[in-house]
Amino acid sequence: MSDADRHGALSLNPSYYDALRRLTLELAGINLGSSHAFLVETRLSRLAREEGYGTLEAMVDELFKTGGSRLAVQVVTALTERDTHFFKDKTAFKRLEEIVLPDLQRKRGGGRIRLLSFGCASGQEPYGMAMLLHRMREQMGDMKVDIVGVDYPSQALDRAREGRYTHFDVQRGLPIQDLVDFFEAGKVDWVVKADIRNNVEFRDIHLLSKLDTLEDFHAVMFCGGLPHYSAPARVRVLRGLAGLVKENGYLILGEGESLSQMNFGFDRATNETGLYIKREMPVEPEIDETLKVPNGRTTFEKTSKRHKSLS
Amino acid sequence: MKSCLIVDDSRMIRRVAGRIVKDLGFEVIEAVNGQEALDKCRISMPHAVLVDWAMPIMDGFDFVKKLRALPGGDAPTVVFCTSVRDVERIVEALAAGADEYIMKPFDSDIIESKFALAGLV
Repeated sequence: MSDADRHGALSLNPSYYDALRRLTLELAGINLGSSHAFLVETRLSRLAREEGYGTLEAMVDELFKTGGSRLAVQVVTALTERDTHFFKDKTAFKRLEEIVLPDLQRKRGGGRIRLLSFGCASGQEPYGMAMLLHRMREQMGDMKVDIVGVDYPSQALDRAREGRYTHFDVQRGLPIQDLVDFFEAGKVDWVVKADIRNNVEFRDIHLLSKLDTLEDFHAVMFCGGLPHYSAPARVRVLRGLAGLVKENGYLILGEGESLSQMNFGFDRATNETGLYIKREMPVEPEIDETLKVPNGRTTFEKTSKRHKSLS
Repeated sequence: MKSCLIVDDSRMIRRVAGRIVKDLGFEVIEAVNGQEALDKCRISMPHAVLVDWAMPIMDGFDFVKKLRALPGGDAPTVVFCTSVRDVERIVEALAAGADEYIMKPFDSDIIESKFALAGLV
């Protein structure tokens, strides 16, 4: 059954659907799948209205005629935006709570650690991390935690920065006690309290770009995104993430997701897939030139001989 | 089969919520106010209760306090389902013995999510 049969008349010239699918694959590495026409209609119609276009066709016409990069990013972001909610991947949060954070606390004892939510969409995941850390504050002791959420620039990310969520957003996945503890009721929406919001920083980033503008992290959470990527894009994203995780740091994938055949410098942290720990890089022994003597012997050898002669 | 008592003076809400809860695998029992709900709980304690706040004869708040005082009344998982969105009232509901809290309007995703959080599904 075609999309048109399933959902009624579609408004775009059919050739546009394939063009948009190719654009999304090219810019975001994400394959929209076979029934993408309905997705295009629903998500892009809203974007067309918000951007002031009379019709969806007018917006898509302009996109392909002018090749505007800002509009292209907006279109691709709207098409790839993931439906998310608070604590969506329960397994990932359980691993963060029961394995990753206690291990980082044990190894470091204090100081500051950095957590990354990669592909954070409208921000529920990094705010969920901040709420979890608040509940674990006694266990975490003096350790300070910085949380960063990154995704493509979008209205969803702007809403995340404001920490503003609808009546429906706060009732999916969020325990009522967390709503009471961490949100304030606005006139219409619910707003994350400042002490939680201030722990989370959001940054616009192209997820397939070089990620070297980001610092290293002690743990990176990337849930639900991997299965949507094409094979080359998956390798590119994972290679980028591998470069962001500190040695002995963690990569937390979504439930049922894995690194597959390649390891990208990670080992499994448990028997199950989905939680990986970054290997320590082998350290080459450093040779201190000042310790060498002209005849090739080292100071240590000299000291050793002297030691023998004295004994 | 698990049972869910839906307590609301609106027939429409009972019907809509009842259909969603039935789809989650529950046998549905209905009551139009807190007193009727309490009478039904005395006969047979349900696994879950979805209860409105404002109702004639006995409101949801009084119902939950009296339910929790009954023998075996601590067993059902109680989820408030009300248009009250005030944080202080939510805290009162939890203190009275509610396990979760739904703000109207709701949809099937919200009920399913709240039932999952409460360990019902």
